[in-house]
Formats: sequence, structure tokens, C-alpha cells
Amino acid sequence: MRGRLRWAGGVLAVVLTIAARPALAFDFDGLMTLLAQRRSGEAAFIETRVVQGIDVPLVSNGVLSFEAPDRFVRRTLRPRPESMEVDGNKVTLRRAGRSRSFSLDAAPEMLGLVEAIRATLTGNGATLRRHFQAALSGDAEHWKLLLVPIERGQVKRIQVIGLRGELSQIEMELVGGDRSLMTIEALRTDKTATTATPP
Amino acid sequence: MQHHTSGRPASRVTLVVLAWLITMAAAAALIIHIPIVADLSAFLPKSPNPRQRLLIEQLHSGVAARTLLIAIDGGDAAERAAASRSLAAALRGSGQFEQVQNGDDDAGSMKATGQWLFDHRYQLSPAIDAQRFSAAGMREAIDETVSLLGTPAGSLVKSTLERDPTGEMQRIAETLLPAQAPRSERGVWVARDGPRALLLATTHAAGADLDSQQNMLHAVRSAFQPMAGRRLQLQLSGAPVFAVQSRSQIEREVKLLAIAGSAVIGVLLLFAFGSLGALLVALLPVVTGVVAGIAAVGLAFGQIHGITLAFGSTLIGEAVDYAIYYLIQAHGKGQAGSGWRRWRDLNWPTVRLGLLTSLCGFAALLFSGFPGLAQLGLFSIAGLCGAAVATRFILPVLAPDGATGKGLRHHLGGLAHHAFTRLPRLRPLVGLLGVAALILVSSQWSHLWRGSLGSLSPVSQAAQDLDSRLRADLGASDARTLVVASGSSIEAALQAAEAAIPRLDALVDQGLLAGYESPTRFLPSLAKQQERLSHLPDAATLRARLAFATSDGPLTAARLEPFLGEVQNARALAPIARASLQGSALEPAVDALLFERSGGGWSALLPLHAVDDSALAERVRHALGGLAAGNDVQVVDIKYELDSLYAHFLNQALLQALLGGCAVVLLLALHLRSWRRIGRVCAPLALSVLLTLGLLAAFDVALGLLHLVGLLLVVAVGSNYGLFFDQLQTDGRADPDMLASLLLANLTTVVSFGLIAMSEIPALSSIGRVVAPGALLALLLGATMARVGRLPGRSEGPGASSRPGV
Repeated sequence: MRGRLRWAGGVLAVVLTIAARPALAFDFDGLMTLLAQRRSGEAAFIETRVVQGIDVPLVSNGVLSFEAPDRFVRRTLRPRPESMEVDGNKVTLRRAGRSRSFSLDAAPEMLGLVEAIRATLTGNGATLRRHFQAALSGDAEHWKLLLVPIERGQVKRIQVIGLRGELSQIEMELVGGDRSLMTIEALRTDKTATTATPP
Repeated sequence: MQHHTSGRPASRVTLVVLAWLITMAAAAALIIHIPIVADLSAFLPKSPNPRQRLLIEQLHSGVAARTLLIAIDGGDAAERAAASRSLAAALRGSGQFEQVQNGDDDAGSMKATGQWLFDHRYQLSPAIDAQRFSAAGMREAIDETVSLLGTPAGSLVKSTLERDPTGEMQRIAETLLPAQAPRSERGVWVARDGPRALLLATTHAAGADLDSQQNMLHAVRSAFQPMAGRRLQLQLSGAPVFAVQSRSQIEREVKLLAIAGSAVIGVLLLFAFGSLGALLVALLPVVTGVVAGIAAVGLAFGQIHGITLAFGSTLIGEAVDYAIYYLIQAHGKGQAGSGWRRWRDLNWPTVRLGLLTSLCGFAALLFSGFPGLAQLGLFSIAGLCGAAVATRFILPVLAPDGATGKGLRHHLGGLAHHAFTRLPRLRPLVGLLGVAALILVSSQWSHLWRGSLGSLSPVSQAAQDLDSRLRADLGASDARTLVVASGSSIEAALQAAEAAIPRLDALVDQGLLAGYESPTRFLPSLAKQQERLSHLPDAATLRARLAFATSDGPLTAARLEPFLGEVQNARALAPIARASLQGSALEPAVDALLFERSGGGWSALLPLHAVDDSALAERVRHALGGLAAGNDVQVVDIKYELDSLYAHFLNQALLQALLGGCAVVLLLALHLRSWRRIGRVCAPLALSVLLTLGLLAAFDVALGLLHLVGLLLVVAVGSNYGLFFDQLQTDGRADPDMLASLLLANLTTVVSFGLIAMSEIPALSSIGRVVAPGALLALLLGATMARVGRLPGRSEGPGASSRPGV
């Protein structure tokens, strides 16, 4: 009898373990799979930068948008309109009527910064791991992804906080102690890249 | 005349041979000091329009001709990065290079450059205009600078915030950001498509100085030697590599072809004459011709092109003809030792006329306006004259009765007669072929002559592929469109460039142009520098405006006190002149884009980086339309210009060749004084040129300058055949010796040019592929259209009697 009970208990434990696994085993790859489901999206952002030697925080806002696999645009609306458009390996910066284009991979610092957001948004785990040591904490509901650049530069660390498949906050710390915090609110997400956006 | 002293033949022989040897030794002493060059720009015209002249000047001495592309393959990323750093350090230390770039920003010169730019920012910043230092302008500028703080890009701004709050340095840096740059990994340049580190090195030595370039390449390979052990391989490309490789390849092939050609012809002559002495005598005019050709080119041009030298090996097959004619035709009918006299009276006039005909054709090249073609023309003229003179004056002394051995030449004569008497039966077929060729050639005429300058290059496809791959990785691939701003002085050229820049910036802002380079970024015109400095307010005005500009902003005016001092210092700065860049890392950057024109005046080059290649030149030309008069600004599409330049002058060369052809007919007319005889000589010649062209058209060969040279050679060789056939017909009797000499001369020509046709150097194989079939056709058509007549001593020449007269 006791033997049978014990046996049943064992089975139960196995069954429970299997059933519980998806929740318990929310790992980096799982997060990436989750994020990769979205093919495009648009979000409003508010960025607050705290700079050493500047007494007031610098606040700006604008719109982030992305389209899988490799298009990413950050459009700042206030206080000064400017934009950074990344398409594949080509970056175009627009500021005060001027426009400059260059190759993203020629500027490793910029590449890291872009990939921290672009690769996260598109769930490109391989790219993230090429540039960062990634550490995930939390669960699928509330997760926190810590990214530490492999190649040392100005960026000390980046922390991305998310709710399920959405990003809600990107926090960046620079080597000199300057910090920026970007809070994100989704305006639109599409599961397929082909969905047209009404004007 | 001197030939009558036949009483002491031995001493006479010694004397002549000695004189020949001394002449040859003198010429050889001259020859060994002639530098060999290999750049293809020699095959571009000497005096094109100013835009094209500039292009050629750039090809000769421009920075592209001195730029070496270096790749390090193998190993892992860390090993490659380390190797890139140590190779760059070694090369920088060698003193042979103006600049060595590997993407390593920590290299000492970069810091010095940054400091220099910062110190001169108020002369260099493109942002400075009348509004920049107004209160509103400064507020705007400071806002923009502040917007960079707290981002990785802000770290540079932050360190100079108090001295440069308006971000002039940032604006300078922005213009220097290359639109196409290599990928950067571990701080060095790497390829995008594979494990490979990249470097770019510019030599001090001029691109045309091949000896220095060769030494430089050797130095790079030795510098890499210590790293080669660690699984790493070095690959080199770029213009210096191509030039050095081309030269050594040409030298190698010239040697090979000369040896193979001499050997084959030697064997043929041995069979024909059965005498080693005759062989040696036959080679004498060849050697004389080649030496005379090289010496003449060296004297006239001060250098010899590799392709001209290679061409020298083609002369073997032609110069040996003279010797063959002499050795077979000069035989004493009556007394021994008088053969040469009989040849001189009977056959030399024909050979001489053939020589003059050939010279007419090559004279066309001499005046073609292409230095490369002029070399080929002079080489041929001097070479043929040398060979003919040696045949006329030295061979009679060495072999007064021609070749003494029997060999197979009598069989050759019989064989030739047998064949030549049957060939006229093919006239209807030849006629048909001629018509077909005429239709084919005339319908495809312009398509046929589509050879490009690049098709002359002996650089292998694999080497060209590697080059374009490295160029793509280095972002050095598409600067094929340039804006050229010219003026009578450096200042005028820079001002013209500055007039064009706002229009180019507008194209960049619209995304129609990826970017451009300009010498004015480091060396603005004096007028522009003064204008910028004139916009800097005095201390009191600036202080007042700054107070207003910074009110309720994140930066206080008190904090920006250093800025006030910097601006006042800048107002007193001496202007940047070209001389003030000397010795700095910026000097080569400016020198590459600013140069004195050979015809006087200066030009500033602004290489453009295309977004996509389509119609960039047209777009920029349109954008630059209507610039203020006095600004000499032109848009040059390098590949298009080169191709159209080549095509245009190819047409001109064709015209000149045609004129040369007319001169040939005129010359023949003057000598032969009979329409019938002129027709007899010219018709087979013209037909063989036509059929050769038809053959090339049928194989869809792209024809270029060297094919034209080949056709001229066909005329040169073929005119001899035509004249001998004419002589035969005038005599009315077939001379077996003459037939044998024609057949043997043709055989050697076809074989030697056949060898050349197999060369890997396109310039050579082009000539070979024209001359080998052309010369064969010239002989066969000459025989087809001639009446050879009966052999003496034979009552019934086969076919000779049955053939109806023409």
C-alpha cells in the first residue's frame, strides 16, 4: 500500500513539475520567442536624462517605431524635433534640417545602443548575445532584462523592463554616471508586418 | 659601292660583324636603363579636353594610384585585431607611407588631429554664419548641444561644454562622418562578409614609380612575416599591386613568348634550311629589329611600356620574314658569291616597297595621340627598319648566296606551287565569304568596336574580384563620381568648391546623395575663414547676447566664461594656409583632394558617395546648374568619362588607320603605276582584313585598339605577299624559291602569332588572334587571286594550263 502511494506521489510530482514548467522556466529564449511574435509596433516615449553637472533633468518625448526584421525609428518631438532612422545597417540622423547617413556597424557604440532596443523589440536573441551579457529576472508577466555591453565603451549597462510582450521602460547608465530613463507606452502593435497602418 | 671588295671576304665579315656587335652593345647599354612602366593610362590620348586631362592626371598621380588595400585573413577575431594593430604600427614606423588607416582611433595622430580641429573650430565650422552668434542663434545652438548630453555621443560634448557650448566641434565632426565606412570590431576595421581585418595604406612613392611600389609591397610582406606564423594570411590589392603584378607578368610572358617563339621558328628554319649557320643568320635581323625598336622607344619616350615590350615578341614573327626572303631567294645562278647582288636587283625593291607599305600603316599609330600606341608605332617602324637594314646590308656579307643547306625548302616550293595553282578554284567561295563578311561587319560595325580600357588590363579576374570585395568592405567602392572645382589659384579653386557645397548639402539632406568629401573641410578658402571669424562678436557683445541666450536654460552664463575667452582668442588667429597643414595627419587628406594642374591653375576634388549609382552625375550636374559665373565647377563620372574617352579616340584611331590604308594604296600606286597591279596587290589585302574582321565578328569579339594594331600588322605582313605575287605575275613564271620563301615566312608568322594569341595578357592575345588568321588569309587570298604560272623546267604544271586567264 505504502509503496503504491509513494509511487502515486511520485507520478503526481512528475505531472506537477511538467505542468508547472512553462511558468517556472521563463528564460531568455522564452522571452525572445514571446517578443518575436510582434512584427511591428509604435510607442510613445518620455525620456528623462540626469546629467552630472547639469542641475535640472533633461526631459524629451517622442515616438519609437519598429518593423521586423531590422527597421527602427526614434523620432523626438520635444523639446527639439530630431530623428534617428535605422534601416538594416544604414543609420540616418536628422536634426535641424540637416541629414547624415552612415553605416551602423562602423560605429560600434551606436550599434550596441540600437541593438539593445531593436533586437529586444524584435526578439533577436542571437544579436543581443553578440553585443551584451544578458541576464533575465522576473517572470513572463513582469520581466527585467539586464544588458551589459561586451565591448567596453560609454554605456555601462542597460536595463529593459517589460510586461509580457511589451516593453515598458529602458534604463541606461553611462560610464561617467549620467543616466537616462525612458518610459514607453504602446500606441499600436501588429502581429504581422503586412498590416497596413491607417494614416 | 662598298660591296665590291669581295676579294677579302674574311676580314670583311669580321668588320661587319664587329660593327654590328658594337652597335648592338651600344643599344643594349641604352636599353638596360630604360624604365618599364605598366599603367594603362598610356592608352588614353595625350591631349583630350580639360576634364579628361584632369582624369588622366589623377590616374597617373592621384591618391588612388598610391593606395594599397590590405586584408588579414584567418585566425580568430582577437588575433586579427592584434595583427592589424601591429602591422599598422610597423607600416607607420617604416616611413614609406603617407597614411596607414586601420580604424584604430587611439592611434596617436588622431588625437593631435582632433586637437588641431578643436583649436581652429571657429575657422572650420560650417555652422558659422551671421545668425550663429546672435542671442537666438546661440540659444538654438546651445539647446542642440544640450540635447546630446546623457547619450553616449554626449561624452565628447560634455568634456568641452564650457569652451564650446555652441557645439562647433560637433558640427565639424558631423561633416567628417563618412557615409560609407568599414565595419568596426574590437576597435579595428573588419569585413562585413567574413573573418577578415582591413587596412588602407597610402604610399609616399608615386603610383607610376613601379620600382618603389615593388619595394613597398615587399616591405609590407616582411612586416607581416612575424604574424604569418599564427594562422594568419596577408592579402594585398589596389593599384600598386596591379601595376607591379602587371609588369612582372608582362616581363614573364615576354620572356616565355620570346623563348617559345624563337624555339619554334628555329625548328622550322632548321627543317627548311637544314643548316645551323642559316638559322643563326636568320635570327640576326630579328635581334637587330627588336633592339632597334626598344632603343628608339627609349630614346623618344624616356621609358617603355610593358605592352610595347610584349609587342616586341610579336616582331619576331615578322622580322624573320625578311631573313627568309633573303636566304631563300638569294642564290647565285651563275657565279658563286653573286646571289646577294641578284637578290638586291631583283627582289630587294619588292621587299623595300613592302617595308614602306608597312611603315605607312604604323606611321598612322605614331601620330595617333595615344602615347601607348605611338610607342607601338615607333617600335614597329624602328624594328622593321632595323630588320630590313640588317637583311639588306649584313646578310649579303655573311651569306652571299643565301642559305647554303638544302633542307626541305625545295619540297616547300613544290608544295606551295601545288597548292597555289589550285587555290584560284576557290574564287567563287571567297567571293561569297567576302560578301557575308561585309554584311556582318558593316551591320555590327559600332557594336564590334566596343573594347574598353579595362579589357587591356592583364589583371586576373580573381584579383579583380578580391579588389572589389575589399573595396566594398572599406567603403571605397563608389567614389566614381567627382565634383571638380578649379581656379587660377588655390584660393580660387577652394572658393569654387565652397560655392558648390551648399548645393551638395541640399542633396544630402534630401537623401539623394549619401555624402561627399572636400578639401575645404580642413582648408577653407581664406575668404571663407575671414567671413566666419567676422561673425564672432567682440567680448562685450558676446557676453550680453550669451546672458540672454542662456536665461532659463540648463547652462548658466557664468559657467560659460571660458567660451567668451576662446571666441576672443579665435578672432586673432592667423588664417589656416596650406603650409600650416604640413607634417600633420591632415596634409595627405588635403593633398589627395587639391592639386596643381599641369596646364596651370589648381583643382579641388570632391568625391561623391552615391546612395544608388543611377544617374548620380546627371543629378549633381543639375543641382550645380546656375552657380555664379566664375566658379569653374564640373561633374566627372570617372568610368563613363574613361569609357567614352577610349571609345572616342578608338574611333579616331580607326580613322587614322584608314588614312594609313589610303597612304598604303597611294604608295603602291606611285611605285606600280598600273591600276591592274595595284588591284592585284590591294584586293587580297583588303579582303583578308575584311574576312579577319568577319571572323572576329562571328565570334563576337569586342574589338579595341590592339585589334586595330593587329590589322595594321596584317597589312604590313600581307603587303609583302601581295607584292611578291605581283612580281611573280609580272615575270610570268613561277619561282619555286620565292613560293617556298612565302610559305615559310607565312608559316613562321602564323606560328609565332598563334603563340601570342594564347598569351594571358589581353593586349598581346588580341594582336595574336588578329594577325595569325589574318596573315594566313593574306597568303591564301593572295594565291587565290593571283596566277602563279608554271614552274620552270616542267612542261605541264598541274592545273596551270587548264586555268582560264583573268
